[in-house]
Amino acid sequence: MNWLLVILLSLTIAALSWCWLSRAKLLKENLAASEELKRMQTSQSQVMHTNKLASLGQMVAGVTHEINTPLGFLRSNAQVVTELLDEHVQLIGKVASALAKFEQVDLSMPQAQEALKRLLPKMQAALTNDERIVESRELLTDALEGVDQISALVKNLKGFARVDRDGQELWNVNEGIESALMIANHQLKDRIDVIKNLETVPLVRVMPSQINQVFLNLITNAAQAMHERGTLTVSSRRNGESVEIEFLDTGSGIPSTVLPKIFDPFFTTKPVGEGTGLGLSIVHKILTSHQGDIKVDSTPGRGARFTVSLPVDHAALKSHSVSTRDVA
Amino acid sequence: MADKIRILCIDDEARILRALKALFREHEVHTTSDPKLALLWAKSKDIDVIVCDQRMPQMLGVELLREIKLVQPRAMRLLLTGYSDLNAVLASVNESEVFRFINKPWDNTELRHIVTQAASIARDVPTLSTAPISESEKEQARQTASVLVIEDDPDTQNRLREILGTHYTVRFANNAERAMQLLEQHETGVVISEAETTAGDWTTLIKLLKQYHPQIPTVVITDRANAQLAIDLINEGQVYRMLIKPVRMGTCRLSVESAIGHYWQLKKNPNVLRRYSVSPPKNSGGILPAWLSSGLLERIKKLPRRLLGSMA
Repeated sequence: MNWLLVILLSLTIAALSWCWLSRAKLLKENLAASEELKRMQTSQSQVMHTNKLASLGQMVAGVTHEINTPLGFLRSNAQVVTELLDEHVQLIGKVASALAKFEQVDLSMPQAQEALKRLLPKMQAALTNDERIVESRELLTDALEGVDQISALVKNLKGFARVDRDGQELWNVNEGIESALMIANHQLKDRIDVIKNLETVPLVRVMPSQINQVFLNLITNAAQAMHERGTLTVSSRRNGESVEIEFLDTGSGIPSTVLPKIFDPFFTTKPVGEGTGLGLSIVHKILTSHQGDIKVDSTPGRGARFTVSLPVDHAALKSHSVSTRDVA
Repeated sequence: MADKIRILCIDDEARILRALKALFREHEVHTTSDPKLALLWAKSKDIDVIVCDQRMPQMLGVELLREIKLVQPRAMRLLLTGYSDLNAVLASVNESEVFRFINKPWDNTELRHIVTQAASIARDVPTLSTAPISESEKEQARQTASVLVIEDDPDTQNRLREILGTHYTVRFANNAERAMQLLEQHETGVVISEAETTAGDWTTLIKLLKQYHPQIPTVVITDRANAQLAIDLINEGQVYRMLIKPVRMGTCRLSVESAIGHYWQLKKNPNVLRRYSVSPPKNSGGILPAWLSSGLLERIKKLPRRLLGSMA
């Protein structure tokens, strides 16, 4: 009996310890899995952050280019107008010294009066019609327009980056298209014609900085797909319960084997170092989080069409109707 | 200058053109946004100085300047740009051989100074013949002048030895002292150097060498997308060619062959040297790095010139 008891006891112990061990193993695995999840979440937010930094870099490059041109003529004009005014002051000096000669003249004499009568309109004409004044006025008009150009850029930039706001708001997608096109302008202006078909569309409730990033990403991709010259057509329209924004390029297109993988993270066709393969996966993620969607179709060799859709905000629909003209 | 300078300005922004016209109001200024018209005018109006924007809808500035170079070779070419991407800078060195690269917004006093200097060169200094030198002359140039590589990275040294060793006498220096010794002892037809290495910035040496010995073309190798460094090398170093790492055999050989040919032409026609003059370095402000201070500047100045014929 004793003998049987020992066997039974040791079997129980063995079973118990096996249970305990496997539970510990399970716990350990569980822990590892949650750590893995945590790590993935961190790396994903790092990826989002990196992408944000990349689009920030793009923005700085674009705006630097756009601002340096008006700065160029502003700076030059300010200096040239100063010089022209100095020259004009010299002219005033000449007129003044000509007038000063009359101090020694007896003005009661008719000849003196006659001479003065002839001279005064000439002096006035010389001073008011001085070509330096005419030129200064032109240069200052340009300068003012330059200031307006820079102000528009800064306003657009603020609208794009939303540095002063965060969170969801009611927003006109046409506004985002315009500012994304402005930011990408330095990649487009040499070689790509942009056609805008922006219709009057209802407002959407979104995080504008994120949707702007989506637009910039799609415009940049289109520009890169058109190696030489090309046309980018950007359209916006209402389609039932959604607002659709379409980006149609005349670039190299996307092979049908690639199309299904195009929104996968780390999938890229660009050479090493040129693309991270994260752009479109982030675009997809941002749109999904807005209950929106993105579709793509392409004819290889002819171009590609990306269609973004975002749900119309019904609350806004009752009270607002925004025209495209308000944007410009 | 007694005569009015004939300046041609090309930009797609009309306000830039008006600003330049006002800035150079004492001279004869022609302005256009149309590259084709510019190409026509460069010759028909016998232009001295071209000021051209880089980014225009119809054509890139560097492309237009390359074509203008063929029709009006005596005109000096300046590139005026709002945003300098490295590709533009490289093309402006390797293809359109610009005299100066100027960033927007520019400084009026500086731009006036550059244009006046450029105009005096365009009028007084003859141009080199654009015809390539003969095979026998090429051979003679190779026999006479050697290639100096200033480089401390053994891998790049080996790569260059591999690419150039069979065609040229190539000598290597891994520091400034050794480079000076080789320049003093041997006639050098081209200097190849890396822009920045772990040992420091070689560009100061390149710029100083160019300032006193403009007849020696320099080929600079760079691996970094640093547009400003490249712009300084144009304006202050009149670098002859710029190569991007990894160094490719074809481009490297072509560049060195062209550079040696250029050296040979300059050696025989020292009267054209002023076309390759440089602006004094902006950044160092007269203070030389420690490794250059020990009498090296004096030695650079005293290097034998080995020119044939007389200077202008």
